[in-house]
Amino acid sequence: MSASTYANVLELAAGLVIVCAVVTLWRRSLSAIVKTLAVQGIALGVVALTLGLHQHDDVLITVGCLVICSKGALIPTLLGRVLASEPKSRETSPLVNVPASLVGAGALIFLAYGATAPVVDLVGTTPGRLIPLGFATLLVGFFAMVVRRKAASQIVGLLLVDNGIALVAFLATAGVPLLVELGATLDVLLVIVVLRALAGQLWSRFGVLDLDQLRELHD
Amino acid sequence: MSVTLTLTAIFGLAAAIAGGALPRGSRVGGAVALTWGACASALVGAVSVLHGGHPLALHSSQIIPFTGVTMVLNPLGAVFIIATAVVAVASTLYWIGYASHGLSTRTASAALPLFVTSMLLVPAAGGVSTFLLLWELMALSSLVLVLSEQSRREEARSAAQWYAAMTHSGAAAILFALVLLSAHAGGQTFADIASHAHHLSAPVRAAAFLLAVVGFGSKAGAVPFHVWLPKAHAEAPGPASALMSGAMVNLGIYGIVLVGNELLGGGPVWWWLVVVALGIVSALFGALYAATSSDLKRLLAYSTADNMGLVLIAVGVSGLFAATGHQTTASLAMVAALLLMVNHAVFKGALFLAAGSVQIATGTRDLDQLGGLMRRMPVTGAVFLVGALSVSALPPFNGFVGEWLLFQSLLHGLAATNTAVVIALAIGVAALALTGGLTVAAFVKATGIGFLGRPRSSEAVAAHEVPTTMRLGSVVLGSLCVVLGLVPMVVLPSLERAARSVLRAAPSASVDGWVTLHLTGLRGVLAPVLLFAGLVGTALVVAMLRRASHRPSHAWSALRRTEPWVSGRELQTARMQYTATSFAEPLQRVFDDVIRPSRDLDVSHATESRYYIERVAYRISSDDIIERVFYRPLIRTMRRWGQQARSLQNGSVHRYLAYGLVALVVILVVIA
Repeated sequence: MSASTYANVLELAAGLVIVCAVVTLWRRSLSAIVKTLAVQGIALGVVALTLGLHQHDDVLITVGCLVICSKGALIPTLLGRVLASEPKSRETSPLVNVPASLVGAGALIFLAYGATAPVVDLVGTTPGRLIPLGFATLLVGFFAMVVRRKAASQIVGLLLVDNGIALVAFLATAGVPLLVELGATLDVLLVIVVLRALAGQLWSRFGVLDLDQLRELHD
Repeated sequence: MSVTLTLTAIFGLAAAIAGGALPRGSRVGGAVALTWGACASALVGAVSVLHGGHPLALHSSQIIPFTGVTMVLNPLGAVFIIATAVVAVASTLYWIGYASHGLSTRTASAALPLFVTSMLLVPAAGGVSTFLLLWELMALSSLVLVLSEQSRREEARSAAQWYAAMTHSGAAAILFALVLLSAHAGGQTFADIASHAHHLSAPVRAAAFLLAVVGFGSKAGAVPFHVWLPKAHAEAPGPASALMSGAMVNLGIYGIVLVGNELLGGGPVWWWLVVVALGIVSALFGALYAATSSDLKRLLAYSTADNMGLVLIAVGVSGLFAATGHQTTASLAMVAALLLMVNHAVFKGALFLAAGSVQIATGTRDLDQLGGLMRRMPVTGAVFLVGALSVSALPPFNGFVGEWLLFQSLLHGLAATNTAVVIALAIGVAALALTGGLTVAAFVKATGIGFLGRPRSSEAVAAHEVPTTMRLGSVVLGSLCVVLGLVPMVVLPSLERAARSVLRAAPSASVDGWVTLHLTGLRGVLAPVLLFAGLVGTALVVAMLRRASHRPSHAWSALRRTEPWVSGRELQTARMQYTATSFAEPLQRVFDDVIRPSRDLDVSHATESRYYIERVAYRISSDDIIERVFYRPLIRTMRRWGQQARSLQNGSVHRYLAYGLVALVVILVVIA
C-alpha cells in the first residue's frame, strides 16, 4: 500500500465515522439509524485494518476484523431485534429538534478540533491529524444520548461514544491491546442484552419505549 | 521497650475482635480482659518513658502506604497515656456490670476496645499520617458508641449527627494544620517538622497554630466549638461517656501542646493570648451552663468544657511565660495544666460513671425527677460526692491541688513586664474565681437535688444500688481523687518531667516536698495532708463539743430531726422541695442577659370560675446560646442550599446525561 493510498483510505474511513455520527442525529427512523451505525462500525474496522496493514501489525489486523464483525454486523443485528418489538418506531419528538441538533453537532466538532489541537501537534503523523474526528464522534454520541428520548436512541448514542473512543485509541496509540478491545466490545454487547430485556419490560408496562416514563423512579 | 506499643495495638485489636466475634456470654468479659492487656502494656511503656527518660520509637513501613507507621512516645505523650489507661481500666471494669443494661451488642463491644486503643496510641503517634489515622479511628469508634443507645432514645441520633459534624470539621482543621507544616518542613514525621519549624515563615506558623487550636479545641470542647459535647457526652452510655469526658477531651489539649510547643517550639505572645482567651470563655461558659442545667449528664458535660477551659488557661499562660522569658513560671503553669488534666480525667470519669449508675437505677438523668439517692445507692452517692468535691476544688480532694498550682502561676506571673500579659493574667484570675463559684453552685445542686432530700419520682423511690463491678469501677476513680488530693507527689515529678521536655527547660524541680509542697524559686506552700488532718481534727472537736453540751434541756429537746435538703420541714409531698430548676433560678436571673432562656408560663383555670387557678406550669429551657446564635443560622443556610441543590435532581435521565456533557464541554473549553 503506497503512502498516499494509505493516507487517503485512512482519512476517508475516519471521515465516514464522523459523518455517520452526524447522520444518526439527522435521521428519525430508528431502523435507518441502526443501518448508519453498521456503516460506522465497518468504517471503524477499516481504520484499524488500514493501520494494521501499514504497520504490519497482525494483532491490529485481527482487531480490525473483529471490529467489522462485531460493530458492523453483530451489534446492529441485535439492535435491530430490539427495534422489532416496536416496528416502524421513529424518534418523533427529540428534546432538541433536528436542525438545532445538527448545529449543536457542528459546534461540538469545532470544540473537538480546538480541544485536541495540542495532541495533534504532539503526534504529528497522518493518523494523529485525525484524532479530532474520534473526539468529535464521542461528543456527538454524548449529545445524542442527551437529546433523544427512545431507549434505543440512547444505546445508539452510547455506541457512538464507544466508537469515538475506539477511533481515538486506534489513531493515537496504533491500537489498544486485543484484550482491552475485546473487553470493551463485550461490555457494549452486554449493555444491548440488558436493553433488550429492559425494552421488553418497558413495552409490556407502558406500551412505549420512551425513557421519560422512568422519571418516577428517582425517589 | 518499644515493643509495648506493638503489644498495645495487638491487644487492642484482639479485644475488638473478641468483642465483635465472641458469643454473648463471654463477649464483654473477653473484650475487657484484652483491653486491660492493652492498657497494661501502654502503662508499662509510658512509665518507662517517664522514668528512663528515653523516648520509645518504632517505625514500620507496613499498614499505611508510602509513609508507613511512625510511633514516638515522649514524656508528654506518656502522661496522657497514663491518664487514659487509668480511666479506661475503671470504665471497662464498670462496663462488665453495665453490659446487662445495654452496650453489649457486637458493634458496641468491638467499638469500645477500639476506642480505648486508639486513645492509648494517639499520644504515641510520631508522624502526621499515623496521627491522623489513629485520630479518625478514635472519632469513628466513639461515634459508634454515642449511637449505641439510639434505639432507646431518639436524641442520641441527633447528638451523633452533631458530634460527627463537629469532629469531622475539627479533623479537617487538624489535617490542614499538619499538612501545612509537613509540606513546608519537607517531611511527615514530627521529628522532621520540629527540626524545620524555625525556618518556617511567621504566617505559615501562625496559620498552622490557629488551625490546630480550632481543630483540637473542638475536640477539647472549647467554647464556641463545644456544641457537640453536652449532646454526645449526655447521650453516650455510661462507660463511653466516662471515657469521652475523662480521656478523649484531654487529647484535644495534647494536640494543642503538641503543635504549639513540641512541633513549633513555642510562639509569639499573641498566640497564647488567643489560647488564654479561649480558655477563659470556655471556663465561664461551661460553669454557667453547668450551674443552670437540670440534666445530670449535661451538667457534667458542661463542667467538662469548664475544666478544659482551665487547662487551656494554664497551657496558654505557660506559653505566655515562655514567650516572655519566665522559664520557672512557664514550667509551673505547664505542670498545673497537666495536673488539672490528670485530675479532671479521674474525677470526671468517676462522676460520669456515677451518673451512668443513676441512669441505670432510675431510668432518667433529669435532676428534677431524682432525689434521696444517697440512702438508696450509698456507694454511688459517695463516689459522686467525692467527685463533686474534687471538681469544686475543695481540699483535701485532688481538684484543689491543681487549681492551687494554676492560681500560684497566675499570681506569680502578675510581676511580668509585658502589659498585655499582665492584663490577661488579671482577667484570668477574676474568671477563675467566678468559675470556681459557679462550679460549686452546679455541684451543690447536682448532689443536693439528685442525692439528698426526698425522691421526686416513683423511679427514684424504687432505685437500688447497681452491680458490684459498676460500683468497683467508680470507686477506683473515686479513691484516686482522694489519693491524688492527699499525696499529689505521686504524679507531680512525672508531670514535671513531661513539662520540662515540652518546654525544653533545664532540669530543675519547680514543686518539691512529699508532705508540704514547696514551689522552688517562688513563694508558695501547701500541705494537703496537714490540711486534711486539720479538717478531721476540727470535725472531731465540733463533735466532742456537741456531745459535751448534750443535756436534756428544752433547747435540745425541741430539736427536730429531718433529712438533709428537705428545707428542714416535715413535707407533705416531695414536690414541696427545691428542684434543680428552682435552685438554679436566682443564678439564672443574674445571668439572664447571657443565657437568654426561654420561659413558658402556662396557667390553666378551673372550669367553674376564672378566679380559681387549677394548675400553673412553669417551664424554663436554657438551650445553648452559642448553638442558637451561631450554629442554628449556619444549619439553616446549609439546609437552604441543600434544598436548592435538590432541584438539580429531578429523575430525568436526559438531565443527568446533560450534566455530564456540559461538564465535559466546559472542561474542554477551559483546557483548549
